[in-house]
Amino acid sequence: MGIKKRKLLGLALMAAMVSPWSLPGPATAEVFELDSVKNLYEGVSFDHDMHIEITGEDCTACHHHTAGTAPVDPLCVTCHANSPEADDPSCKSCHAKDVFDADNMKKNWDTPLLHHRNKPGLKAAYHRNCLGCHEEIGAPTGCTDCHAMTEVGEKFYNTGKYAPEPTAAGQGGGHH
Amino acid sequence: MKTYVTQGFEPIDTLKKPGSDTPWTLKEKLLLGLSSGEYVKQLVRNPFNWILAIIYAVGIPIILGRFYYGLGWVTHSSYDYPWGLFLGWGLFCMVPLSASGFMLGTTVELFGRKDFKPIERLGLLNGLLGYFFAVMFLQADLGQPWRLIYPMFVSLGPAAVLFLVAWHVATYLTVQVAELVPAASEMMGWKAPKKFVKSIVLGLTVAGIILSTLHQGALGALFTYAPGKVHPLWYSYSFQWFHFFCSSIFAGLSMLIVVSTLSKWFLKWRCDADFLGSLDRITLGLSKGASLALITYLIIKLTAVAHDNEWGLLFTGWGQWYIFELSFGVILPLILYTVAIRNQSVAVARFAALIAVLGILLNRLNTALITFNWNLYQEIPHWREIVITVTIYATYILVYRAVLYRLPILYTWKGESK
Amino acid sequence: MKRLNRRSFLKGGLASGVTAAAVTGSVGKADAAGDFGGYPDSMGVLVDLTKCIGCRTCEAACNKEQNLPAPDKPFTDMSVHDEVRHGGLPRRTSEKAYTVVNKYEVEGREHPLFRKVQCNHCQEPGCLTSCFVNAYTKTPEGAVIYDPKVCVGCRTCMIACPFYIPAYSYSSPINPVVKKCIMCYDTRLKFGRPPACVEACPQQVMTFGKRKDLIDLAHKTIKSRPSLYLDHVYGEKEVGGTSWMYLTSQDAPFGEIGFDTHLGKQPIINYVKEFLAIVPMVLTIWPALFTGFHLLATRKEAKKNDESVS
Ligand code: SF4
Ligand code: SF4
Ligand code: SF4
Repeated sequence: MGIKKRKLLGLALMAAMVSPWSLPGPATAEVFELDSVKNLYEGVSFDHDMHIEITGEDCTACHHHTAGTAPVDPLCVTCHANSPEADDPSCKSCHAKDVFDADNMKKNWDTPLLHHRNKPGLKAAYHRNCLGCHEEIGAPTGCTDCHAMTEVGEKFYNTGKYAPEPTAAGQGGGHH
Repeated sequence: MKTYVTQGFEPIDTLKKPGSDTPWTLKEKLLLGLSSGEYVKQLVRNPFNWILAIIYAVGIPIILGRFYYGLGWVTHSSYDYPWGLFLGWGLFCMVPLSASGFMLGTTVELFGRKDFKPIERLGLLNGLLGYFFAVMFLQADLGQPWRLIYPMFVSLGPAAVLFLVAWHVATYLTVQVAELVPAASEMMGWKAPKKFVKSIVLGLTVAGIILSTLHQGALGALFTYAPGKVHPLWYSYSFQWFHFFCSSIFAGLSMLIVVSTLSKWFLKWRCDADFLGSLDRITLGLSKGASLALITYLIIKLTAVAHDNEWGLLFTGWGQWYIFELSFGVILPLILYTVAIRNQSVAVARFAALIAVLGILLNRLNTALITFNWNLYQEIPHWREIVITVTIYATYILVYRAVLYRLPILYTWKGESK
Repeated sequence: MKRLNRRSFLKGGLASGVTAAAVTGSVGKADAAGDFGGYPDSMGVLVDLTKCIGCRTCEAACNKEQNLPAPDKPFTDMSVHDEVRHGGLPRRTSEKAYTVVNKYEVEGREHPLFRKVQCNHCQEPGCLTSCFVNAYTKTPEGAVIYDPKVCVGCRTCMIACPFYIPAYSYSSPINPVVKKCIMCYDTRLKFGRPPACVEACPQQVMTFGKRKDLIDLAHKTIKSRPSLYLDHVYGEKEVGGTSWMYLTSQDAPFGEIGFDTHLGKQPIINYVKEFLAIVPMVLTIWPALFTGFHLLATRKEAKKNDESVS
């Protein structure tokens, strides 16, 4: 469906364009660490080339409308049908790391662009973007399949070293 | 007691010892004129006291445990059923059954029906004790009973129905104490308090009617906060308060018939001729009142079903249960009362009263517990909760009996001008 | 005789007058409370259930933020989604958890849908209006908070909450209190920051903002993907509106994922108004009415007495 169709178009366009991974920045690396929001989990070591291959070199599969190729999502198409490639198409250039920062929240709410008002932060952008496809194509979806939990995380989730003593008691309420 | 009386003993009913000018001491009055030894003997002889003793042996440790380990130890700690037996039984059942106080006050003092005078005090006492023990049940149920006066003085939430209940029950308890002051004064030989209460008795009675109308209704209105949780057949946001108020009328009257019958059976020695002689006539009189309230109640119950157009629900399982409640608890006593009045049969009237009381219990438990959360699940109270409920209720009976033994409720204090 | 009557009448009138004043005042307030449509700039949260993956990170975040006791099972344990309590019901909020995420397998849907449960911070909360010591407050920021210092423990709020939210720490003999989500009021909301669960969610299922902006956003979101979203913003109108609102997918209507769809649009207090309205009536009419009855009844008697004497 979408992805296949795009494949041809993507290839054609790609040939006519400067290859995106000749640009400076992390996108040039084959495998790089997504670690700017690591806290409960370690960063993710992300194989960009492998994902290019899997998506059939369809950049829009992940990069919505910033890769210079025609976007798939009809919502993006309404404004970005002919948008050029962004200067920095990396996730974090659009998706704020500190999405709940007061200034950022204000900026989001104040934007006149409807579909950007609720733009997810970097962490959610990763998860939403990745999980959908992973689920669809049977790629790993478990939390620790992609990133190992840190000690902070174990404490936070009351697991591992910080797991509760097993008890017979339920959550309380109703019959015991 | 019966034994002593058959042996010729006469319990105290005067201020002064017969034939002399020396007044009875307080201790003598409390022991009814028996010596301590004799008093204990009659306690032991009464099998009912043995039952009480067993209840206390089990119940008191559990009540202590409730305050030591917390509510979680005696109930299922249910978040879905925040109210269990303590309120379902202790508040919602006790209060309507205690409506006799204001009913009799109204009848005698306000409508001037002096023919009900012999039972007026029993009616008032039934009211006072019922309310007092409803508060005791509430204390067992409240998470922080020591804050009982908060809604009065510390932090007021006057727009809440329970606020109204709290204030009204508190005021009404005071009114009922005042209404019974004459009985205590007679026994103690005080003149002034009795005279004072007599002078404000009409005010007290009117206050009693207002407070009763509102808090009996308010107990119903409490359930209007839970439109989705009480089964629609037991829920009516327009009529709920009126259902509760109206049913409290026949509940109070029927309870009074039951209590007076029990007094006649078990405390005959304490009743005077005036009480015993008029009881049959009064019972039939009360029956008339109760049957009027019953028929009104039946009509507004059906009106509520029609108003919310819930006829279809009658054919569900809950509907059958509703029909059972109405036929057993309302229609049956209504028929029995009518038969009793027509045939002047006091026995039938007494049976009707018993059924009516059971019917009210069923209705209140249905609203507060059984049909509550009808679309979730049904909860059976924890056994410790049942034990505590029985223990507090036993205390209610014990106190009731102790007061009837002493205060001039069933008999007239001699040397009093009527 | 006549004098005594008039005197007692006055006293009766006075006694009831005092109660009348006390209670009519309160009813005035109740009416005002009923017309209260919420603070204009209050904040809220829009929960997009189509995005939730049931990871329970929000539960863990709440546990830490609210200093709740350690859970019985790790927050990474997904078996809780299959827990069934009494009555075949999924988990609910408790004294140890202000929020829980439940799983719903909906027929005709490939994937389960997850629903996060916590206090909805109603515009006209049932809990608040039923409390007789005023322990609850709806803050201008939108949170419904609770003051444990005045709570008597009658638990009427638990009866009155249409969403079965408040829990009670029954286990404490000395200081049992109501336990419920407070929208992280004192640590976050007060300072304009979103609740802990909102921030922690890896999917950013929840959007934090002014309630009125969220309603607008919700409808625009539905319109932008009409084939995905069900055209209903749960909480916009339910029981007078709530600060937390929900979007769900077309193929998983609210009724099938544990939401009560029979609640109606009236705030809970409206169901009680009928009774509150009769209070001043009884207080003002009853004294006159019954004193009148009394005078009638006793006049007849007095007459009879007169006649029998003469
Ligand atoms: S953290 Fe977010 S995705 Fe995870 S269960 Fe909670 S709401 Fe759902
Ligand atoms: S959801 Fe329940 S507890 Fe929360 S504000 Fe509404 S009524 Fe109160
Ligand atoms: S808003 Fe705060 S208190 Fe409420 S569920 Fe989320 S984290 Fe817990």
